[in-house]
Amino acid sequence: MNKINLESHIADYVIKNKESHYRLAYSYVKNREDALDIVQESIYKAISSKRTLKNPDHIRTWFYRIIVNTSLDFLRKQKRLVLSDDEAMLLNEAACEDSYRDIDLQKALYNLPDNCRSIIVLRYFEDLKIDEIAEILGENINTIKTRLYKSLEKLRIQLCESEEE
Amino acid sequence: MKNNNLDKLKKEYMDIQIPDELDFLVKKALKDSGVDISRRKRTGLQKSAIAVASLAASLVLLTIGVNTSQAFAESLSKVPVVGSIVKLVTFREYKVDNKNYNADIKVPAIKGLENKELESSLNEKYLAENKKLYEQFMKDIKELEKNGEAHMGVSSGYQVMTDNDTIFSVKRYMLTTAGSSYTELKYDTIDKKKQVLITLPSLFKDESYVDIISGNILSQMREQMKGDEGMIYWIDEQVEDGLTEAFERINKDQGFYINPQGKLVISFDKYSVAPGYMGNPEFIIPTEEISAILVGSEYIK
Repeated sequence: MNKINLESHIADYVIKNKESHYRLAYSYVKNREDALDIVQESIYKAISSKRTLKNPDHIRTWFYRIIVNTSLDFLRKQKRLVLSDDEAMLLNEAACEDSYRDIDLQKALYNLPDNCRSIIVLRYFEDLKIDEIAEILGENINTIKTRLYKSLEKLRIQLCESEEE
Repeated sequence: MKNNNLDKLKKEYMDIQIPDELDFLVKKALKDSGVDISRRKRTGLQKSAIAVASLAASLVLLTIGVNTSQAFAESLSKVPVVGSIVKLVTFREYKVDNKNYNADIKVPAIKGLENKELESSLNEKYLAENKKLYEQFMKDIKELEKNGEAHMGVSSGYQVMTDNDTIFSVKRYMLTTAGSSYTELKYDTIDKKKQVLITLPSLFKDESYVDIISGNILSQMREQMKGDEGMIYWIDEQVEDGLTEAFERINKDQGFYINPQGKLVISFDKYSVAPGYMGNPEFIIPTEEISAILVGSEYIK
């Protein structure tokens, strides 16, 4: 595929799937402005490294991977700027007290480590296959499977606890 | 129960509200990256409706919103003729001020060069680029207002980086803010004595500078990343996934200027070698690294 075609292939793709991309970014950064930033930055990155898209049919996994990496870069940067652990804990507790059920569900998901949450999101919400997820996250298939299982387990436990209250 | 919960979670995930400006920002990011998306076809009916709407919007904007100050800066009339005092003045300013969007575009002009051809070619370039920036902004606003409110800003300006006996280095920036911001930097360096524009290749004997400078920048990047884990540059170790294109070498005509200490400074656009939060990275190249391949020692010391 020549340069122009490749670019417009990427352009068509990101325009068509912008909403999925936004949701995925949002699931990491959890706020609107940052999620919009991530989507934009991923596009800049995609266009400037378009040559790494060896097979245009793989654009879906390729682009998801860019979003995941951009989000993680962003969180890594942010971590440097945020609160000490104590402060963060206080904030989390405060948020707990008056939460109701659906928020608990979401919180359980957000409480998972980033790499586990990505798997749940990609597998169940974006309906990707395990091998595609492995490619996006740069892990092997077995690691993904183990992590998926553990994450589901964790989610289940957290949810049971909140229901018992 | 598990599936039930997952379904519920999925529903919540799918309910994440999509901001109105997403579509615009996606297209904007594509355009900023130099992708021509205008060839994409809209359906006939939709297209004509949009055309009418945007025509109306443009009329209003042009009559009320714009404050185009065409007055020359006062210094312009006082340009000394003798001794070739080169200076940069604000030639024109475009301002749009609205609750949600604003533009502040300053067009510089170089004055005082004896080489009038060089002077006017630079000034024409400055004017043309800023005009384009302004027109694009107005187009973007129109596009945005179709979906409701337009939140966007654009500003451009300049800074004299160095002005000594020999060197006159100018930095120009163009900043677009719409969600995230995108900054483009451009530099011009002039030899005041010879009255010529200095390009990066013209400083060196041959093209080996590309590799030598790139090598130095790579080691500076590694050094910075070692000292601080929040510093990220996209170089080989960082992009083990083969996804992002790793920085390997500078372009032959990479942005540069010569700082007042006579050092060569290489500049990168935002997003080109590092994540956006790293801004526009700059690297000072130690003169001893390049002294062997410099054409002369009059500029870089």
